[in-house]
Amino acid sequence: MLPEALELVVLAAAALVLALAFAPVPTSRRGLIAKGGAGLAGTAAVAAVPTFDLALLVLLALAVLHATIEGKRTLASRLRAPVFAVALLALGALFARVQGPDVVHRFAAVGLAAGLAAAIGLMPYLHPFDPEERITSSPIAWLAYIGPAVAAVMVADAHGLLNADTSAAFAATLIGLGLLNMAWGSIAAWLTENGGAAWRYSFIADWGLALSGFGVALTDGRRAALLIFFTILLGRLPLYFASRGEVRGRVATERPINLLVAAALAGSAPFAGFAARVLLLRGATQLFWPLALVLAAGMLLWLPSSLRLGRSLGVPRGRQAVGVALVLAINVAVGLYPLPLLAAARL
Amino acid sequence: MEVAGAFVAWLGIFVVVLADGRYGLALGTLLAAAGIAAVSLPIAGPTASAALAVGGLIASAGRLVAGPPGWTVMPAGSTPRLVLGVAGGLLALWVGLAVTSGSGAGLRFAVISMLSLAAARALSSDSGPVVLTAFGLLALAVGAAAGLSGPPHDGWPYLAAATVAAAAAWVPLRTPRAA
Repeated sequence: MLPEALELVVLAAAALVLALAFAPVPTSRRGLIAKGGAGLAGTAAVAAVPTFDLALLVLLALAVLHATIEGKRTLASRLRAPVFAVALLALGALFARVQGPDVVHRFAAVGLAAGLAAAIGLMPYLHPFDPEERITSSPIAWLAYIGPAVAAVMVADAHGLLNADTSAAFAATLIGLGLLNMAWGSIAAWLTENGGAAWRYSFIADWGLALSGFGVALTDGRRAALLIFFTILLGRLPLYFASRGEVRGRVATERPINLLVAAALAGSAPFAGFAARVLLLRGATQLFWPLALVLAAGMLLWLPSSLRLGRSLGVPRGRQAVGVALVLAINVAVGLYPLPLLAAARL
Repeated sequence: MEVAGAFVAWLGIFVVVLADGRYGLALGTLLAAAGIAAVSLPIAGPTASAALAVGGLIASAGRLVAGPPGWTVMPAGSTPRLVLGVAGGLLALWVGLAVTSGSGAGLRFAVISMLSLAAARALSSDSGPVVLTAFGLLALAVGAAAGLSGPPHDGWPYLAAATVAAAAAWVPLRTPRAA
């Protein structure tokens, strides 16, 4: 198994444990264990299988399993995105494998990148989102829980399928998608009226950074992507989980804890998001310095949305307060000393 | 054999594109599975090819017992679907035979047409049985596409594809929770 993917599966397991330990009292822990555990097993299977085709088939099995969870969306609307994603990924793989002109192999790169975006939940209109839907059955499960490990596997496999020239095209497509999602996600998280939708868009913005990191294709880029995934799995996801009650009640508070949460979400120092951004900018500078300039400008867009999301958390009490404090502490620790996390993924 | 198999695979997915009723969807599944199994035979061998056929057969049986009753092939307003099926098939034929080269042209055509038309069918329908049928055929096409990766060919992708396709057809259809 790819060390990076293995680490992301472990981080997803840690996110599940956090959710179980600090979930609001009305949450069914038994249901959370069953659904979260099945998702984790499926993610681990995607990472563990030896070939790209098997990974796609496990992804399909995971999709149908996820679609059977009781929820507010129809089965058809939940299966549409994974079917489209796997079709694009499989067509990309096919075009990468066959003999033909260069343009066919470039289509392979585009197909693989677009399929990855669809699998994670970044395609507009393909992933209907209802803020009132449970996290386990909503597209957030793909964006924040299953997606990171799946993306690490797909990107590694895609580079294995493509030749040097088309690998560069794949990386460029990932950077383009990354910049698009950074802008779209962060502006929408800032300006959308619905608080739950704002959280969803903030995940999309984070994915923009991760895709850019993969696209930079240097060690610093991959390190940045890993740290962004860490902040999604053990930062934004648990905080979103904690904010769910407040999002429903539309309570916004401006206490010091809300500012701290906003700083963590915005990727300020000393949180893990800051280390990820520094690595990404360093990698982008090595690759093509104007890209670093664009990325730096894009990173400023996190500020207004993070302040909004921080306020939407309300004032956590009881076990939720402990959970939020623990999440912030973990993010500070990794932000100050990310080396063990990176070394475990052999980066 | 390869040409006939590729044509039957396209015909199967074409029927799925055109049908809304359970009999039509089941027939399309059966045809597509038989076709993709036939084109996979020279590359993957009899065991892997049989796995695809059996997976398709189970998926077809599952569709026969659940879904909207009747055939409902080409209901009123299905002209766009007819155009999609024919145009998609021609495009897949051009890409599989003329744009790309090498051995396994029939397999390329069958896989490209099944992947693209299954995805298009899933995107254009709000019916659970229809999307599940497209899902099953997509799984079979992904499994068969493993044959294009070059030797050695192991049977696992074919077996996994057959299992996913067969299981998807038996997924219970439920109505979404209101609140």
